[in-house]
Amino acid sequence: MQIKLVVPAALAIAAAVSPAYAGKTLDAVKARGQLVCGVNTSGPGFSNADSQGKWTGLDVDFCRAVAAAVLSDASKVKFVPLNSQQRFTSLQAGEIDVLSRNSTWTLTRDASLGVEFTGINYFDGQGFMVPKKLNIASAKKMNGATVCVQAGTTSEKNVADYFGASNMKYKPVVFDTAEAITSAFFAGRCQVYTTDMSDLAGARTKAPKADDYVILPEVISKEPLGPSVRRGDDEWFQIVRWTLFAMIEAEEDGLTQANVDQQKASNKDPNVQRFLGVSEDTGKLLGLDKEWAYRIVKQVGNYGESFERNLGPKTPIGLPRGVNNLWTKGGLMYAPPIR
Amino acid sequence: MTVRPAAPRGDAAWRAARRARRAREWLVQGALAVALVALVALVARNVGANLEARGIRSGFGFLADPAGFNIGELLIDYSARDSYLRAFAAGMANTLRVSLAGIVLATLLGVLVGLLRLAHHPLVRGVCGAWVEVFRNVPLVIQLLAIYLLVTELLPDSSAALAIPGVALLSKEGLQVAVPEDGRLALVAAAAAFAAGAAFAYFAARRWLDIGAGLVATVAGALAAAAAWIAVGLAGGWSQPTLDGFLISGGASLTPEFLALWLGLSLFTSASIAELVRAGALAVPIGQWHAAQALGMSGGQVIGGVVFPQALRLAIPPLASQYMNLVKNSSLAVVIGYPDLVSIGNTSINQNGQALEVIVIIMAVYLSLNLVVAVVMGAVNARVTRAPR
Repeated sequence: MQIKLVVPAALAIAAAVSPAYAGKTLDAVKARGQLVCGVNTSGPGFSNADSQGKWTGLDVDFCRAVAAAVLSDASKVKFVPLNSQQRFTSLQAGEIDVLSRNSTWTLTRDASLGVEFTGINYFDGQGFMVPKKLNIASAKKMNGATVCVQAGTTSEKNVADYFGASNMKYKPVVFDTAEAITSAFFAGRCQVYTTDMSDLAGARTKAPKADDYVILPEVISKEPLGPSVRRGDDEWFQIVRWTLFAMIEAEEDGLTQANVDQQKASNKDPNVQRFLGVSEDTGKLLGLDKEWAYRIVKQVGNYGESFERNLGPKTPIGLPRGVNNLWTKGGLMYAPPIR
Repeated sequence: MTVRPAAPRGDAAWRAARRARRAREWLVQGALAVALVALVALVARNVGANLEARGIRSGFGFLADPAGFNIGELLIDYSARDSYLRAFAAGMANTLRVSLAGIVLATLLGVLVGLLRLAHHPLVRGVCGAWVEVFRNVPLVIQLLAIYLLVTELLPDSSAALAIPGVALLSKEGLQVAVPEDGRLALVAAAAAFAAGAAFAYFAARRWLDIGAGLVATVAGALAAAAAWIAVGLAGGWSQPTLDGFLISGGASLTPEFLALWLGLSLFTSASIAELVRAGALAVPIGQWHAAQALGMSGGQVIGGVVFPQALRLAIPPLASQYMNLVKNSSLAVVIGYPDLVSIGNTSINQNGQALEVIVIIMAVYLSLNLVVAVVMGAVNARVTRAPR
């Protein structure tokens, strides 16, 4: 089925008369009045549409932040749900402006797919989920297991590497959507479901009884997830990259959706004044206006707020901040200075 | 001959006109051909330039790279360290396996249901009619998903597998059956027995019996092959499926994905084949039915000896296109996780991003497979139509 969707995208590449995208994405987005953002078809906590079709999630918030910076309105985003196989083809073919779909940044993808990752908005790792009744305490006890895995993911290769290195055998069952995997896994077709830890936590919330399943402690890979853009448009690349940095910087500066107006009026910290466009115009250098970062915080919130409302302990997914905390709090989230 | 000079004049005029027409045709067709080639070249160059400009790797060099992913069920040896080329071969083998198994089962079911639709018994006729309408009119994807859902939901976990001890295990892991310890020997023996049994039965049927020799030969060959298979197992021992914790080892395995796809393709196609067989049978003039009955033939003899051989002749050309459809439909495997060629292609596209190349490979493979089907069925058709009436 996916081939049907990949083919038009591939043909779109074939048919494009010239590489007309270089340097043009910002203009195209402004002329359109809408940002087209590729997101996950179903990734609880990252991008998920509710029954009214309203999108929520960490990756969705990022799309909104870009729209807030570029179009002054966080709601002017068209979300295009993509499965793991369509995502890069869709970006290559120019059908989306930004891909924000919990995708792992790797050398191969960066160097050979015609896309560029702009940063990391979630530090993840691949893990395993198993039914509790099998009494598997460690990933080392999975020899011979049937493993459900999604097609076209880094997980598919990692699991081959992991089992190979541990001298264990396994039987992969490869599905092309997350929905197909979860229904097969919860029906008992596989003993093991492997993907990124954050995905496992999200999938577990969709189980008939979440308590029947455990996520094993082993993390077998580094999965830095982040947004990516098409190659060859440096101006657009910078905007997308610094949008994420602005969200992280805002958290570090203590700016939240609730207090940003008051801080803008009263905070005399030169960092904050520059960031919010009170003293300097940092936006001009990016091709934006001076309040670009202010709008991101005002309309979407800082990185921490986005994390807490989509993935944090108070959500059904309940992930701790862990390495995704600020560098000042023992995590890895670090933004270069905005000046 | 004084009239002679007049005739060549007319001839010459006609020849000149024909020459002019031919030249015109050549010119037009040549121009079209050049335009077509130019268009293809332009598109190819354009694709190359676009991929280059966007820093997307292109070309078929990736086929030699290690694939790095595993495949759930295999007919040929393959591991994650092997090349993409080998991964595609493994995918193609899986496509072939399910297609061939599907063609056999769909044909058996289709012929049976098609002939039974002509039965006098209203219940039999009704059941077969319902069979055709249901399986022909529900989209294949939906049938596959439904069958797969039933298989994965209803079958017990491997720890509580339904078992015929020492012979077969049925669970969510699929169907595991005992096979002879020396699998290769068993295959060779079965193939040899099939050839011998079929040849003998064909010869015997032509000589002494008055019924479809080809059919008799196939059945006899299959029986001989099964006997040889079992004999090798009895002599050399069996590899039996055994349960160890949640793992099943030994024996040969048919996964739920394969079973669901095989069943789905067979049922879907059998409905169309049944209609072909019925249409073929009804196309045999009614007088022949009556004549056969008047000669005192039983219902089975009328159908098996008179009607079916003629119906087959009519049904073979459309049957070929049903077989081709089945081969193509096997690409729906991706929705239920069977690792066919398209599934392997999908994975490859995402590991290396070379969508165009992979799609070209997939198209080329399906084209070749179906050309093979066309050639084989063409030969069968020629054979059947040549046979004396």
